[in-house]
Amino acid sequence: MRFVLRKIATMLITVLLVSFFVFLAFQVIPGDPATAMLGTNATKEKVEALREQLGLNRPLMIRYFEWLFSFFFGDMGTSYSYGVSVRSMLAGKVPITLSLTLISFILIILISIPLGIETAEHEDGIVAGIIGGLNQVVMAIPPFFIGILLTYFLGLVLQLFTPGGYVSYKTDFFGFLYYLLFPAIAIALPKAAMNMKLLKSSVLKEAKLDYVRTAYSRGNSTKDVLYKHVLKNALIPVITFLGMTLADIVAGSLIVEQVFSIPGIGRLLITSISNRDYPVVSAIIAIVAFIVIIINFLVDILYLIIDPRTRG
Amino acid sequence: MLDVIDLNIEFHDHITPETVVYDFDLHMEEGEIVGLVGESGSGKTMSALSVAGLLSRKNMKKRGTIVFNGVDILNCKRSELRKLQGNDIAMVFQEPMTSLDPLKKIGYQIEESLVIHMDLDKEERRKRVIEALKDVELDNAEFIMEQYPHELSGGMRQRVMIAAALICEPKLLICDEPTTALDVTIQAQIIDLLKKVNKDHGTAILFISHDLALVKSLCSRVLVMYKGNIVEAGSSNEVFYNPGNDYTKALVSAIPKLEKKTGEKEEDNKDKKDKNILLKVDSLNAFYPVGDSLFKRGDRRKQILHDISFEVMEGEILGLVGESGCGKSTLGKSILSMVKYTQGNITHYSEKPQMIFQDPYSSLNPARKTGWILEEPLRIEGKLSDSERNIKVVEMLKKVGLDENFTERYPRELSGGQRQRVCIALSLMMDPKLIIADEPVSALDVTIQAQIMDLMLKLNREMGISMIFISHDLRVVYKMCDRVMVMKEGRIVESGTNEEVYFSPKHEYTKMLLNAAEKY
Repeated sequence: MRFVLRKIATMLITVLLVSFFVFLAFQVIPGDPATAMLGTNATKEKVEALREQLGLNRPLMIRYFEWLFSFFFGDMGTSYSYGVSVRSMLAGKVPITLSLTLISFILIILISIPLGIETAEHEDGIVAGIIGGLNQVVMAIPPFFIGILLTYFLGLVLQLFTPGGYVSYKTDFFGFLYYLLFPAIAIALPKAAMNMKLLKSSVLKEAKLDYVRTAYSRGNSTKDVLYKHVLKNALIPVITFLGMTLADIVAGSLIVEQVFSIPGIGRLLITSISNRDYPVVSAIIAIVAFIVIIINFLVDILYLIIDPRTRG
Repeated sequence: MLDVIDLNIEFHDHITPETVVYDFDLHMEEGEIVGLVGESGSGKTMSALSVAGLLSRKNMKKRGTIVFNGVDILNCKRSELRKLQGNDIAMVFQEPMTSLDPLKKIGYQIEESLVIHMDLDKEERRKRVIEALKDVELDNAEFIMEQYPHELSGGMRQRVMIAAALICEPKLLICDEPTTALDVTIQAQIIDLLKKVNKDHGTAILFISHDLALVKSLCSRVLVMYKGNIVEAGSSNEVFYNPGNDYTKALVSAIPKLEKKTGEKEEDNKDKKDKNILLKVDSLNAFYPVGDSLFKRGDRRKQILHDISFEVMEGEILGLVGESGCGKSTLGKSILSMVKYTQGNITHYSEKPQMIFQDPYSSLNPARKTGWILEEPLRIEGKLSDSERNIKVVEMLKKVGLDENFTERYPRELSGGQRQRVCIALSLMMDPKLIIADEPVSALDVTIQAQIMDLMLKLNREMGISMIFISHDLRVVYKMCDRVMVMKEGRIVESGTNEEVYFSPKHEYTKMLLNAAEKY
């Protein structure tokens, strides 16, 4: 329990540090938002007035804590470009991106775990051979390109879905999930391939250890040895990998959203960056960072559940 | 009960098949204890694993017959074999830490065989597990059942392994080096426990070990294996006291004996009286911080060494004996300033001593050739030219009984004994006056052990190098050393010359260690 409390404390400190760096990054980036909003022809007085109005002329730390507090109470500031609250801009979009991330994550697990076990169990089998070869190829293709391929083959040729025909979760929830399935495949495939390979080698490595021989000496069948003993041990590095992958998946979602015309935060992030719309950009980055931190915390807790040696 | 006839095991990994076990024969009656002795690679473990139906590998061929209670182990169905495994034939392995599943509770691991082979409900199984734990003399069974392997000591883990093996009351228990990883006193306890199991339950035991003395104390019959062949078989006393085969003779004579040495050694000691002091350790305390964290420097410290004071004289070999965890390695490291938190004075009267470690397999960089490894200290020092360094490397290789061809080899191409010779050569590169050797022979086979000890004694005699020789093995220390210090829980409880400590021990703990060592 003390360990969990310590993990929570560490997590909170990480949140503070990350949020501060996010905030700081937008302070030191060259280019003044006030100038950007008014254009380069604006008079100095006008720019100064706007800076005053936006609060840009006050001390850094004060602005940081103000930003942080209002952020946690749901006020993420006002978009420089559109003049509306960042919160309202993100409200409809964050759930979409999160859904995409979550579906991708589930797909990674659903694809990689059974295949990893299968290829480890029948190391020299035909399935393992084919998958092993495909694996190398899939690992090397970036998600957005898989997305383009899927759009063409599954969308245009096989007509399994309508490319660009995004369905809102407000109108048809299952249609929404179905549409997200395809971009999720694009995001999940390379990661699933890596994870499968990791699990396979981890299972094979564990299978050589002494405790496996002990398990056999008690009369366990190969399946029982695998499922009762080896798998749990072999999953430890896999969990580490999945935890680290999550940040990648979120980043992957932002890009693949473009390919499938999904109105998540990806497009908003890109336009906001080019517009120097700092409140929007920093809010998105902070949200993504917090999600990653929370997932890492959950991974640590998962370790505690699986591996008694970490319960120090 | 068990009949093994003409068992041959071959590997077909390469074009020419490699036979690792030749015509292995073994007959065992119920309730019998048979020893199987040999060094690593002699084929003893392979033969025993075949008996338990546990040896299966790619490209492996087994010929011959193994019949256990009417079941043909080599040709029966897997399902039939599984009915025997854990039920009639059970195994205990060498390393109890790695042989237990680290993620499963002790209770689960003990009852596993019961779940597989017997139709008992949860309550009955629980009762059996508690009984089994009491049988192996572990009190507090309910508590231990809820523990994980890493929470127990080495001796407790091996008891758990034995409890798990015995839970279905097997007819045959195969023990593969069950005490090699344990301290002498624990080793003695485990041997006594096995004797008790044999007496109380009539369990036959096939006991595999490299340690002939140990086997003799437990087994009525012994088989000696060498390079895949049974070279000698007979009653333990016969084999031990009257070996017929050359290898067995070598094996028996390689065991260091605890007998009074002849007068010549005494004179040696007198010579050394007026020699100079090389190292002086004065009230040394060493600590490890406990509970270091991001926010708080560990303010609680665990004291590993308490008030240690001693001197090492020029040319002498000082033994340091004690069981694992007593602080003997920490003491060695403290002398080399490898321990962060120490108090007290360590005065070196020579250049910094060199160190030799226990495991020659992991002490050498696997990616570098021996020559590169050996000249590394000279390269760092930067005084000698390339060719001078080479000359020195070859010189040191010759000193340790190797030759210049070894400079081009990788550590993986060397045997255990050769690796330890390379480690010793490495420690000689800087012309040290003092070498600290931390269990330098513990990972080696008895015959190799004897060779390495002879080498170290020769270096001591010819080059006048002093040594601090750290070991858990009282016999080895007795052979090697002029003076001995006995350590327990971070304190030196007794020290003196070999004769004083070994033949008139004063401290209870020394007596107990000697007792355990002499018995087995």
